[in-house]
Amino acid sequence: MKHVFSVRIGPVGFRVGSDWREPIRQLAALYAGYPQPEDGVPDFTVRLFAQRPWRRVIRPAVMIGGDFMIPDAAPLPLAQGLLAAEMAMNLQMALGQRRYLLLHASAVERDGRVLLMTGESGSGKSTLAALLSQRGWRLMGDEFALIDPITGLAHAFPRLVSLKNAAIAVAEAAMPQARFGPLLKGTPKGAIRHLVPDAAAVAAMDTPGKPALLLFPRFGFTPDIRDVAPGEVFMRLTQASTNYVAMGERGFDALTRLVLGIPAQAIDYPDTGHALAQVEALWNAL
Amino acid sequence: MSEDGEQRNDIPEREGVSTGRRALMLGAVGASAIVSIRPALASTAVSIVHCQIPVPDAARASGWIAADGSVVPSGTAGAFAPPRQPLKGEAVKQALAGGQLPGVEYERSQAYMKYVRNLHSGTSGFTCFASLQMPRG
Amino acid sequence: MAAVYCAAQAEALRIVPLDTLTAIYHRASGITHLVGPPVPEILAALGPDGLTLGALIARLGETYDLLDADEAALGARLDELVAAGLVRTA
Repeated sequence: MKHVFSVRIGPVGFRVGSDWREPIRQLAALYAGYPQPEDGVPDFTVRLFAQRPWRRVIRPAVMIGGDFMIPDAAPLPLAQGLLAAEMAMNLQMALGQRRYLLLHASAVERDGRVLLMTGESGSGKSTLAALLSQRGWRLMGDEFALIDPITGLAHAFPRLVSLKNAAIAVAEAAMPQARFGPLLKGTPKGAIRHLVPDAAAVAAMDTPGKPALLLFPRFGFTPDIRDVAPGEVFMRLTQASTNYVAMGERGFDALTRLVLGIPAQAIDYPDTGHALAQVEALWNAL
Repeated sequence: MSEDGEQRNDIPEREGVSTGRRALMLGAVGASAIVSIRPALASTAVSIVHCQIPVPDAARASGWIAADGSVVPSGTAGAFAPPRQPLKGEAVKQALAGGQLPGVEYERSQAYMKYVRNLHSGTSGFTCFASLQMPRG
Repeated sequence: MAAVYCAAQAEALRIVPLDTLTAIYHRASGITHLVGPPVPEILAALGPDGLTLGALIARLGETYDLLDADEAALGARLDELVAAGLVRTA
């Protein structure tokens, strides 16, 4: 691997090796200001490689690899190399993380307490987290929330926020001063643009918070708020966690404690304005 | 036997010996009271990385796809030449929902999809196929 | 002789009531089960020494107001528990 990039994001250090310079150049630019892996030792290695030597140059396609790999992973065109790197880092976490219980959720913090938002792709959890970070909340992450099984605290993992399709324009309009990565069109999920977490998020990435509220947002519905009972929350979170089963009893303890300790609501919303108001109202009612 | 079917939740088991026993239903024979948590691994992890399904798998790379999805020698009458590139996970997901594979005419798309539906564990593409069928939490 | 149904040893199970549902972690298998009534009540009544189906229905009837005391229904619950590995027959 000729080109290398290392970074620490929250408690996790990554080393990314690439057959091409451009994805590394983009990562270094967007993650500028982030620390290096602790003691220089990364937790996970990511490899962006060409399937055959000539594919480095001819119709270059980036294969995703690293400590943990998935069969059937589709390569991406080199123009989407940044997306490949981000997906590869997600994959290492999804398959290899054992220190923290992973929830597929965005997380924002205020006054030491954490709001978690979980849902399917397109639910709006990344967009809402980005918008809340403009309104007095600290962004902890948009893809994974890390729950410490011993303390129950949520740890920040502020990767580049992945905005898709219509959400890109919403974020660009709301945050004109923010730093964005390149606009990537024609990805398997449509258009993607990455948003760089603000300086406050990066500076506070080692400060955990106490989970206080869990929301299941759904974008594109008439406004509605419904309580979700702990049994259903537990069921849905096991589906939203890639390492719940692998964590064994620690995962069970962490998740039951989380589910019994915080309220959970489903919020349906037609647009982000409604969602932001619903979030503030529910938070203030805690 | 009490006619009152209301659940009284607050009375713990061992107290209240004679009056105030909590109601308990055994449930119907065909119903289920246990859900075992299955690993979400296959769906979530593969969704994180866009996956693809080679048609047919590398072991039978020279084969063609018959109308029923089986792999047959190339040139077999009525069978279709395989796609040049593996099928993208997103395209297969839409086709599973009742659409058609993009850029592929109807009968060929049906044949390819029958091949995909017949995939089993161990065949290249199966992990991708399995992940497409599970809702991502 | 009627089958005796025995619950897994207490140390083998982590039982956490959530609401009407209860989460059970089975240490031997590492599997988590989400269960509804009457499963926790059955496990508590059986204990490791176990009971026959008839004795179980009687024991449950002492502690609870059984609205549908039906041996077939209880048998179905016990079959589910055996399939899940939480109860074994002796």
